[in-house]
Amino acid sequence: MPGTCEATTRAMSGAAVIELRGEVDGAAARVLADAYEHAVTADGVATTVVLDFTAVDYINSTGIALIVSVLAKARAERRKVVACGLSAHYREIFDITRLSDYIELFPDLDRAVSQLTGPAA
Amino acid sequence: MTHVARPMPRRLDSFTLASEAGNERPALDRVARSVAGLGLPAPRVDRLKTAVAEAIMNAIEHGNGNRPEIPVEVEVTQDGDQVIVAITDQGGEAAGKAAAGGDAAINAAEPDLFKKLEGAEGPRGWGLFLIRNMVDAVHVMTDGQRHTIWLAMRTGGAADAGHV
Repeated sequence: MPGTCEATTRAMSGAAVIELRGEVDGAAARVLADAYEHAVTADGVATTVVLDFTAVDYINSTGIALIVSVLAKARAERRKVVACGLSAHYREIFDITRLSDYIELFPDLDRAVSQLTGPAA
Repeated sequence: MTHVARPMPRRLDSFTLASEAGNERPALDRVARSVAGLGLPAPRVDRLKTAVAEAIMNAIEHGNGNRPEIPVEVEVTQDGDQVIVAITDQGGEAAGKAAAGGDAAINAAEPDLFKKLEGAEGPRGWGLFLIRNMVDAVHVMTDGQRHTIWLAMRTGGAADAGHV
């Protein structure tokens, strides 16, 4: 049976946060697409989307494709995407796929949000 | 000169699974359990699990056409200082063309993220790329309808791309 994925969205410090839980695989397509639309619609001024993977225990190649689709949509809308909570293994996968060239990675949500609200460099 | 006999390969586990999306999850956990006593560091077990998951997904979708009645075969073997996971479907040459068309296709699989983001390529196509980058060696063979991919990982030392 395909995995289950759930998403919760909320606005934090001007960012649209999508907290994902479960498995990011082919079965997550609708959940992820709906969560993105809900997140950016609820906070129409959000220029950054935070993908929180803290509660995700599995990502496969189809899940990577879904993340690519979210990133492509966000870029077309001139929104930045950052991610947090990835395990060391999935950070490596973000590196070898070069997703981390386009998605800044943070250890956890607090650090992702504090970076967004911190003083300009 | 003293000759030391090379140990025979040792089968650690062998099982089949129905060709249904999602069945790779319990299978990769079972493979991880079967190699638990070999001393593979946790990061390399994670890599092996990802490669096994992707190979099984290919076997389910491209090899067996998502037909549950056609099983995917999984065999885990310890051979010297490496563990080998063989995943077999019944897709024959068609599976090879669709998913893992021999060793050349495995090595040619190089998705371009920039093109995907620009819409010049579809977002999918990461499976073979992940397989190749996760394990030390990959080999593919088709024998009639049987299409098998072997994933090899040394139980010690760093990853080094090559062939079984």
